[in-house]
Amino acid sequence: MDTKIHFTLNGKPVTYDGNASNRLLDVLRDYYKLTGTKCGCKEGECGACSIIMDGELINSCMVAMGRCEGADIMTIEGFSETERFKVIDKAYGAVSAVQCGYCIPGMVMATEALLRKHPHPTEEEIRDGLSGNLCRCTGYNAIVRAVGIAAKEGNGLW
Amino acid sequence: MVNGYMATSLREALEIRAAHDVVPYGGGTDLMIAADTSLTYLYVNRIPEMKQIAVDDAYVRIGASCTFTEVLASPLVPPLMKAAVEQIGAPAIRNGGTMGGNIGNGSAKADSVLIEFVLGAKLRLASVRGERIVPIEAFYKGRKQLDLAKDELIVEILLPKDADYEWYYEKVGARRALAISRISFAGLLRCDGDVITDFATAFGAVAGTVLRFPDVEAMVIGKTKAEVKAMHDAIVAAYGDHIVPTAGRVSKEYRKDVCLNLVDDFLTSKGL
Repeated sequence: MDTKIHFTLNGKPVTYDGNASNRLLDVLRDYYKLTGTKCGCKEGECGACSIIMDGELINSCMVAMGRCEGADIMTIEGFSETERFKVIDKAYGAVSAVQCGYCIPGMVMATEALLRKHPHPTEEEIRDGLSGNLCRCTGYNAIVRAVGIAAKEGNGLW
Repeated sequence: MVNGYMATSLREALEIRAAHDVVPYGGGTDLMIAADTSLTYLYVNRIPEMKQIAVDDAYVRIGASCTFTEVLASPLVPPLMKAAVEQIGAPAIRNGGTMGGNIGNGSAKADSVLIEFVLGAKLRLASVRGERIVPIEAFYKGRKQLDLAKDELIVEILLPKDADYEWYYEKVGARRALAISRISFAGLLRCDGDVITDFATAFGAVAGTVLRFPDVEAMVIGKTKAEVKAMHDAIVAAYGDHIVPTAGRVSKEYRKDVCLNLVDDFLTSKGL
């Protein structure tokens, strides 16, 4: 039996041969040194560790490594190399949607997942799309505005 | 992998479940809160038999490994179930969490389980020894106590196919997203003209399991709407006699008051 776990990480095939019951979040940060994915709560409540797994937004703290066998995983590091990231980055900057920044990698991944499903979201859809991501600085309104701007400016990218 | 099994068929999963000490892993959204790296998980996410949503003569059959997001996307799932599932967690939790996991976690706060109780759903359980169908109420023997043998898996949830009922659903939580139910309530009403032919209520997050009160439901079934309306206060009082909440994150008194307010609102909203 193959004792390794094979998956795709930011477009590259990787193999992991550690404990299959470890958290993906810990492995991303400590083993792959992808520290853009943040740890806020380890119980799926804050969204700071959001990644995109097989096309869906997922809290990486809620994933055991064994579940990653055959999966396609994108973290903020991989996403930051895309055109869509540039649009989101610029929109967040334009309305000062970032203060301490800790929640932002997760917010950006949630924004990407939302815009994939709703390229032209209503405010309600934006708020629902970000509802699993907590921010203790901004009061959310600037972030909601930034997502709206990204959808408009990135017209056609999603 | 060293300490985990990714099954790709039900047969394979059941053989692993019978031969090894494994914990079935659906979405991980409950299991990973108390992550224990010494456990060996059996991943059931890629088993085709557990990923389908289908309809037969009697039931809407939902595979236990279907995620909440998949349930919301299916035109086959009744609106009452969707009303509860869309209030679970937030998008990332709904993308991971599964219907079978919501049941297997054994909590009376599980939002989809409340609906299974009010609808009188059944579960299809399987092991290498064979299969059995168990009513949801019999499956829950107490808080975290399930009628699930060490070698069994929850394979499908069977919801009665006929959705010709009126319904009511409310979840009371501390916030809109990512809220654990403080109290959840679902009501179901079926009428033939003016006569009530079916009446069911279920209360979640109140005690060790979701609660149904067949005695009180029987007070309503078979009566006309006008008769039930005249008994409105007596029905609410009868629920008050039956509901014995346990204290938890919120007090017993609060739980009971809210339960009775929800019953009152359910009846009133249906003209009863």
